[in-house]
Amino acid sequence: MTEQVRRRELDLSSSFCRTVYSEIEEVGWENLVRLGEDLTSLSFRITFGTISDLKPNLQGNVCFAGISLEERAVSNCSRHLFLSDRDEKGRVHIMEILLDKAYPKCPPSVSADVPYIFKLEWSMNSRLKDAVQQFQEHVEKLQDFWSTLDDIDRSLWVVDPKQPHRATSFRQINTGDDCSIMLLINANDPRSIPEMKGKLLPENLASVLDTQLPGPPDAHKSGQHSECGICYAQYLPIDDELGAKSGSGTDYTCDNNTCSRAFHSVCLGDWLRSITTTRQSFDVLFGNCPYCSEPVAVKISTKK
Amino acid sequence: MTSPSASSRKVLSKIACGRLQKELVEWQVNPPAGFKHKVSDNLQRWVIEVNGAPGTLYANETYQLQVDFPEHYPMEAPQVIFVPPAPLHPHIYSNGHICLAQPLRVFLVQQRPADNDRYVKNCRNGRSPKETRWWFHDDKV
Repeated sequence: MTEQVRRRELDLSSSFCRTVYSEIEEVGWENLVRLGEDLTSLSFRITFGTISDLKPNLQGNVCFAGISLEERAVSNCSRHLFLSDRDEKGRVHIMEILLDKAYPKCPPSVSADVPYIFKLEWSMNSRLKDAVQQFQEHVEKLQDFWSTLDDIDRSLWVVDPKQPHRATSFRQINTGDDCSIMLLINANDPRSIPEMKGKLLPENLASVLDTQLPGPPDAHKSGQHSECGICYAQYLPIDDELGAKSGSGTDYTCDNNTCSRAFHSVCLGDWLRSITTTRQSFDVLFGNCPYCSEPVAVKISTKK
Repeated sequence: MTSPSASSRKVLSKIACGRLQKELVEWQVNPPAGFKHKVSDNLQRWVIEVNGAPGTLYANETYQLQVDFPEHYPMEAPQVIFVPPAPLHPHIYSNGHICLAQPLRVFLVQQRPADNDRYVKNCRNGRSPKETRWWFHDDKV
């Protein structure tokens, strides 16, 4: 009894093995980079078009050796290394396949470093090469997407991710002036205008528009005021008339702790000079804070 | 007539421009009730639609305030006048000039100031209310 069961299991597994081996043969052993000991997991290297701008560090990730086919996998890798040296375009992809023991009745499950996976079409007559072919078609569809991202990586200052995966569809790029922008590339339509977002957008807007945008009405009141209470800007405009103060931030704060309003000494000085009750002693103006009316004293620049 | 010194007005300073842009954003985001900024591309002259306060003689009326900002705003005050037809009020002249020690809060009586004709005649050469040395009549209205 038990002998029979074991025999049948062995038969089954040997037919499973034969199936898997023969189907790998069809795909090509040179494309196999890893094979699990029980043959239920395997990875193929898939190339598109005329192959591979693989960077050396990526190369290292590509060739992890299978257990039973270690020698073979390594030699495959080195061969591809040679190929990739000659070929500048194309890209290399690793397609990971998990097989159920009931394979090929159960379809294989496929995973890969792609932004989204395709829906595998599988029938009783399907073979691994069909899955590989469908993956290749999927990869082919994504070429434009990857070209777009490669173009961004090549021509722009990408802040994040530092070492993007092929599945990564976003890029945070430096736009200068301490701004950055998050681009989300649509894998189905990579040439459409990318979605732009990120928590940095408000800061970006403020920098780009060269103005401090008001916060929500309530937060505005309780928030720290680093903008000047007179010109409402954090930084003075760039203006030759302002001399050394041109473009500088607020440099005076009302001494009254319940007020603590920030000002540019330039603005506060100008304000005080426009008020008839202000007194001047040498280069110091004495007057009242325009917000809390407590006494303020501000040193003014003598030239002007 | 209502833009006395318009031609001779100097352009806003950078500081005035920056501040006005912020004030305008604030008006658009959080406008004071009953006051509406009329959209224009002129940052130096704002036209504000004022709705007469409910429960007053001016309820359901709409008036237009014209606010002209000087080059060195906010160190210098803006000029605020009503665009005629101005509301009938003891502190408002028929040319739209407003004589006030305090903000216009309560509208109680609908009539022109006592010296309306003389004042308006004197302003005919296009004088700004800011050039007027105001003689405050009474603070009761």
